[in-house]
Amino acid sequence: MADVAAAPGHAEAVSTKVDVPLDLIKLSLDERILVKMRGDRELRGRLHAYDQHLNMILSDVEETVTTVEIDEETFEEMVKVQLSYTHKLFLTI
Amino acid sequence: MLFYSFFKTLVDKEVVVELKNDLCITGTLHSVDQFLNIKLLDISVAEPEKYPHMVSVKTCFIRGSVVRYVRLNPAFVDTELLQDASRREANNIKGAA
Amino acid sequence: MSGLEELLQSKVLVATTDGRIFVGTLRGFDQMCNIILEHTVEREFNAQRGVVIVALGLYIIKGENIAVVGSVDPEIDESMDLSQIMCDPLPKIAV
Repeated sequence: MADVAAAPGHAEAVSTKVDVPLDLIKLSLDERILVKMRGDRELRGRLHAYDQHLNMILSDVEETVTTVEIDEETFEEMVKVQLSYTHKLFLTI
Repeated sequence: MLFYSFFKTLVDKEVVVELKNDLCITGTLHSVDQFLNIKLLDISVAEPEKYPHMVSVKTCFIRGSVVRYVRLNPAFVDTELLQDASRREANNIKGAA
Repeated sequence: MSGLEELLQSKVLVATTDGRIFVGTLRGFDQMCNIILEHTVEREFNAQRGVVIVALGLYIIKGENIAVVGSVDPEIDESMDLSQIMCDPLPKIAV
């Protein structure tokens, strides 16, 4: 981050410049986003806050958890998708 | 620091903490530290028949690293403020790097 | 880390990330969440038979393995018949 041209002191103004990967997330603030998580989980929700660890606060979140069950008799794989819904959520990654 | 400050505003409010082992603990937020370790008072664990392991526990300390979600009451969250704070924190970190 | 201060010298239940449960007296801790437990016992949960209690003595548990530290309400705890509780251990936490 040796690029001093970014002038950190004046960075308060809304900047759409992307010079580190996390800036892409900054541009998604107040937008609905999709978060893919460990353990075959996906969240869709509106992004309100994040930090450098990718902790996030999302609202109106839809969570999908995908699990695969194997039928004991037919050995068929059954893919189960469980959907749940919460209002506001903080998550850690 | 953003999330630490944010959680401090939620002290004394009821939250649901979902752990990475699927345990859901409801309780009153008593304190939080910089690692986002959480202390809850007057807790109850969801699905007590399936998870009776902690029935005699009323106050607990949860290590931040095992938290998957904290479910919040939207009434206690100012989204405008959070978005501004996120932008500011992103810029500060870049400035410091 | 002020959270554990109030639990010092009291009976605590510790859930570890590998899904095990330990009960003992909290004698110390540090910033990493490493803890010292005295008179430790492990409570082995089992779906087939009741909880098996294994005496372990003085233990240090490394912070990275800790999920939850809870203060045990002695009245509730002593009124429970652990030998009648049949259930699977807590799930492990993937690292």
